[in-house]
Amino acid sequence: MSSLYSTQGTARSRVPRIAGAAVERARLSVVPVARTRAAKVPFVSLVTVLLLGGVVGLLLFNTSMQQSAFAATSLEQRATVLSARQEALATKLERLRDPQEIARRAQRMGLVVPAAPLFLDLADGSVSGDPAGATLGARLPLDPLPPARPSELDPPATVVTPPEGVLADPRGDGRDGAGGSKNKQEKKAEKKAERKAEKKAEKKAQKKAERKAEKKRG
Amino acid sequence: MPTTRPTPSTEAPARRGHPHFRLRVGFVLIAMVLSVFAGRLVQLQGIDPKAYAEMAAAEGMVEVVLPAERGAIVDRNGEPLAESADGLMVVADPALVNTDEEGQEVDRAPEVAKFLSNKLDVDYFTLLQRLRTESRFQYVARGVPAARATKVVDRADELGFDGLSTRRDPVREYPAGDVAANLVGFLGTPLADGTPQPLAGFERTFDALLSGTDGSARYSVAAGNKIPLGENTVVEARDGHDLTLTIDRELQWYAQRVVRQTVQQARGDSGLAVVMDSRTGEVLALADHPTFDANAPLASDEADLGSRAMSDVYEPGSVSKVLTLAGLLDAGKVTPRTRLTVPGSLARQDRTIGDWFPHDTIRLTLAGVLAKSSNIGTVLASDKFEDGQMRRYLAAFGLGSATGAGVRGESAGILPDPSVWTSQTQDRIAFGQSVSVNALQMAAAVNAVANDGVRIDPSLVRGSATTDSGEQVGTDQATTRQVISADAARKTALMMERVVDPEAGVAPGAQIPGYRVAGKTGTAQRASSDCGCYDGTFTVSFAGFAPADDPRFTVYVVVQNPRNGGGGGSVAGPAFAKITGYALRRYAVPPTGTPASDLPVEW
Repeated sequence: MSSLYSTQGTARSRVPRIAGAAVERARLSVVPVARTRAAKVPFVSLVTVLLLGGVVGLLLFNTSMQQSAFAATSLEQRATVLSARQEALATKLERLRDPQEIARRAQRMGLVVPAAPLFLDLADGSVSGDPAGATLGARLPLDPLPPARPSELDPPATVVTPPEGVLADPRGDGRDGAGGSKNKQEKKAEKKAERKAEKKAEKKAQKKAERKAEKKRG
Repeated sequence: MPTTRPTPSTEAPARRGHPHFRLRVGFVLIAMVLSVFAGRLVQLQGIDPKAYAEMAAAEGMVEVVLPAERGAIVDRNGEPLAESADGLMVVADPALVNTDEEGQEVDRAPEVAKFLSNKLDVDYFTLLQRLRTESRFQYVARGVPAARATKVVDRADELGFDGLSTRRDPVREYPAGDVAANLVGFLGTPLADGTPQPLAGFERTFDALLSGTDGSARYSVAAGNKIPLGENTVVEARDGHDLTLTIDRELQWYAQRVVRQTVQQARGDSGLAVVMDSRTGEVLALADHPTFDANAPLASDEADLGSRAMSDVYEPGSVSKVLTLAGLLDAGKVTPRTRLTVPGSLARQDRTIGDWFPHDTIRLTLAGVLAKSSNIGTVLASDKFEDGQMRRYLAAFGLGSATGAGVRGESAGILPDPSVWTSQTQDRIAFGQSVSVNALQMAAAVNAVANDGVRIDPSLVRGSATTDSGEQVGTDQATTRQVISADAARKTALMMERVVDPEAGVAPGAQIPGYRVAGKTGTAQRASSDCGCYDGTFTVSFAGFAPADDPRFTVYVVVQNPRNGGGGGSVAGPAFAKITGYALRRYAVPPTGTPASDLPVEW
């Protein structure tokens, strides 16, 4: 390699001087890189800002999303509570609109269902229908009859006649007469008690009757 | 890189001298560890990868059921007869209930039970027993309105009672209680997952229509909150459809109260009332007594849970004379003024036919036969029928075939087959014995007379709906057929008007002041299935329509076995007048103002 250079060098020297300038001009040479020293700082800061901005933005965005998720959950819970309340109120309203309830309140105010309607024609003021029917109304029993008491609960009263002389009669002096009246009274009491039992009267009444009977006897 | 640890420092030269040995040991160890990993990988990915993937996905995932709301059952005006509400069940974990803050076992059951029984209307002792049971799950109360249940559990938390929680438990509300309960039916206690259990009535028949399909939502959750942008799939619930009935809730309520009053006054077994719109055949009310409260069906007798109006058949008695005479009029065999000589009793082939009232030979017109409800007169008139003609008329009126209104367990009634149809049978059927019907059938038959001779299928459902047996029912499916001519129907109505006449007829109690009313009483002997005979009890009834010359409502009232000795006119007649009067007022039907029928009843 070094020998070749040397021969070239010698060859060039032999070239006529006239072309020397052209040769010199045509000769390529490596242009030095124009190193324009761009400012590094703005770029780095831009990237940093972008990165930081992105991260912080993402963080904020995420936070706000989380925030709204919390809000959504609490709002949903509130909606559930409110809809439950709305439903409870609607149920209450339906109970009040029950025809039975309306009728009960109407009857309390003294209203009755008329046997037939009466019509007033607004155009000519004429009345059609039977006025008697419109005023004829009866109270409608709204509640079912209370269930009948089983007969076991109202047994006929048991009346025991005490043997002669067991109960001293403080008032009676004539034994036979007193005895006779006692029997009558007993029978009366028995009948009364039985009647009451049949009528399914309250136990109180029965006790009273028994007490009464005893008092009479005693 | 795992290496064997050099134990004594003196061997350092030896270590340096065996690198191959160290490498091998290292490779073997690495190979062993990697084999374990590889084996585990094969186990995870090769054998059952899906189960593990699901387990991984389920971590932090919540799956909730989006409950479908069951459709409501509403009346013709949209008033609810049955509707669903969000309910909750309150459940307890007895183990938690009976543990105090320090984790010590205590007997808290009494105070918790006292609190809950006060707040939720449950039995204290049942609750106490449940709270002392060795388990982790006990029901406290089912179907509690959501607002109330939440409030109670929150209050319990404040008081420091642990172990109570709520779960979804849909509630079915019947706002009007027993109104139309026999038709609407009821739901049983829902299953633990909230699936309703339709047990009776339309709730059961139209369950497919009413019940919706539950949806579901699946999403990831962190600390009780939905993770935004996390996995989230929602399958929307499909709510059930509403069922609209032709029933008018107000009218139904009134009819039920009147029927109850009537049955109780007559000391009867049961009673019913049917109100039909004469022109459309829509049933506005179908009242049964005894009935039940749909909110507490178990409190009632099981026999009262169905609809007697549809499932019980009985012999209609004299109301059937309307059909017999309407047929005769249509066939052109008689006119309302046809003169009949009615003897005191009529000896036929196998038995003697008598009237309900003792009389010598009387001279009645056909209108009089109906007005006085003479069996003998009806039999004499029905002799004019040709063979098989009467049965054809009755079958055309709808007797012997189910109405198909969509009620479960409807009985078709019995119209004797032509093969067993003898002249004796015909005599009895002419005045309504030896034939049995259900109430809606009979109401629809009488309605044909009210509706110019056109019978319309009675319907209870508005529009169209499919029953659980696959039948289409409803107003859209109702068919019509001309049974008798409009002229015959009009003449029959005129004759029926004489029934409520105070002088000519037997049921003045069925009059509605100001209106023309057509009707017919019925007092029939009841056949007992026990003895296969008439047992001496009666079915009393009244069927009619108003206004007689332009019918709007056909009303049929039946009371079974009245014990006060009353007949159709005195027991069912006033109930008919009350219910019809109410319907006329409610639908603002003015009186027609025409003079009432004055057909002669005697000659």
